[in-house]
Amino acid sequence: MSMSGLINEETRPRLEAWLAEQLGATSVAVDDVSRLSGGAISENLALTLAVQGGRLDGRHAVVLRAAPPMEVSASLNKAQEFAVLRAAFAAGVAAPEPIVACEDKGLLGRAFYVMRRAEGVAAGFRVVKTDEPQRELARELGRQLGKLHYVRPSTPGLEFLPRPERGPALDAARLYREWAGEVAERDPVLAYGLRWLEVNAPPPGELVLCHRDYRTGNYLVKDGGLTAILDWEFAGWSDPMEDLGWFCARSWRFGRSDREAGGIADRADLYAGYEETAGRRVDPVRVAYWEASAYLRWAAIAIQQGCRHTSGTEPSLELALTGRMLPEIEHDLLLHLDSLEA
Amino acid sequence: MSIDQPDARGLVEIALKTFREVLLPAVPAEQRFPALMIANALSIAERELKGAAGPAEALRRLLGEEGDADTLSRRLCAAIDEGRFDGSAELRPVLWEITRARLVVSNPKYLQK
Repeated sequence: MSMSGLINEETRPRLEAWLAEQLGATSVAVDDVSRLSGGAISENLALTLAVQGGRLDGRHAVVLRAAPPMEVSASLNKAQEFAVLRAAFAAGVAAPEPIVACEDKGLLGRAFYVMRRAEGVAAGFRVVKTDEPQRELARELGRQLGKLHYVRPSTPGLEFLPRPERGPALDAARLYREWAGEVAERDPVLAYGLRWLEVNAPPPGELVLCHRDYRTGNYLVKDGGLTAILDWEFAGWSDPMEDLGWFCARSWRFGRSDREAGGIADRADLYAGYEETAGRRVDPVRVAYWEASAYLRWAAIAIQQGCRHTSGTEPSLELALTGRMLPEIEHDLLLHLDSLEA
Repeated sequence: MSIDQPDARGLVEIALKTFREVLLPAVPAEQRFPALMIANALSIAERELKGAAGPAEALRRLLGEEGDADTLSRRLCAAIDEGRFDGSAELRPVLWEITRARLVVSNPKYLQK
């Protein structure tokens, strides 16, 4: 019997009984449990549900996504993430189909939800490894984003998502300053970047549901085609150009700096796909602002991840090395700011 | 400097060399990622222990003040926060110098990209 920490002899029967009840099934068996790699924050298990009766009768490859042992304040909790996933899926976005969520920590020790498992490769360095640019993939990723951005703050079920107070740009800058903490008082590049964001913030415009981690490495590709968009835990109301700026940041090109849309193709391909479905034009000036914001956000996250190690709460070589990536992120920020003035 | 030799830098250097030449080729695929992270961490430590030239001189020139790199960096941050360098053409080259000096330690290959 294959086991993971979360699903063991004690929790498995409980989980199976709960799933059967939720799915209106006669019985559910949980098989083939294995841990999925990736997910610095959440824990993902691949499993098969053998469902007898009810609306999901049959065998289903699913992912059980559980909350981390310690919740990270910046991300949504699992029930909220599930609600976002439902809204995105309902909007026709290629998000994994949400199946069922459980807020009761008594069941597995942590909150979790279950979604359909998509096939494909996520690892950025593998996705970008093609001789020719993947223009259709970039276009499709643009189309998907355009569909997602139709989800607006009036959508039922998403009332818990906070609305920006001073506008998405200034709120974001303030948040990154908070995350960076005292590092912003001794790292001039960081201080300069944060100041730049504050001085150059565009006025607030329309608010849409942004994925906020839409990038190569967070979608699945099979035979060159998109199969699913993953990692919805940072979603929130923001400027639609934020997702495009994040997608195009150098940080997510995995060595293919020349292919500015996520290391897979040109920006033009991504933008064209976006304009096909979004019902709005891409605003390159705003995208450029949000790309600068992306470097500051990633820098602030890297600082936080490094702190999780340095503070002793979570000793980890991976977190430690992420903390030391700060100069690379700041290098990319300076390069970007230089390009805006060229 | 330590009385006992080799010092920390010498030890890290030979530990890294041995790890790369002897252990890394024998590491099974599923442990390759942590093994590469270990090699990366040791090589950063090795370069840091070499002691690279800091950006203190550039900071002194920009601010027209004396002090060590850390003190001057903090003063520069405060000045930036106050808007004293908004629109300044002199700041950007110094920021590049600081960043290059840090990359020489953390990831020198990144500079060549």
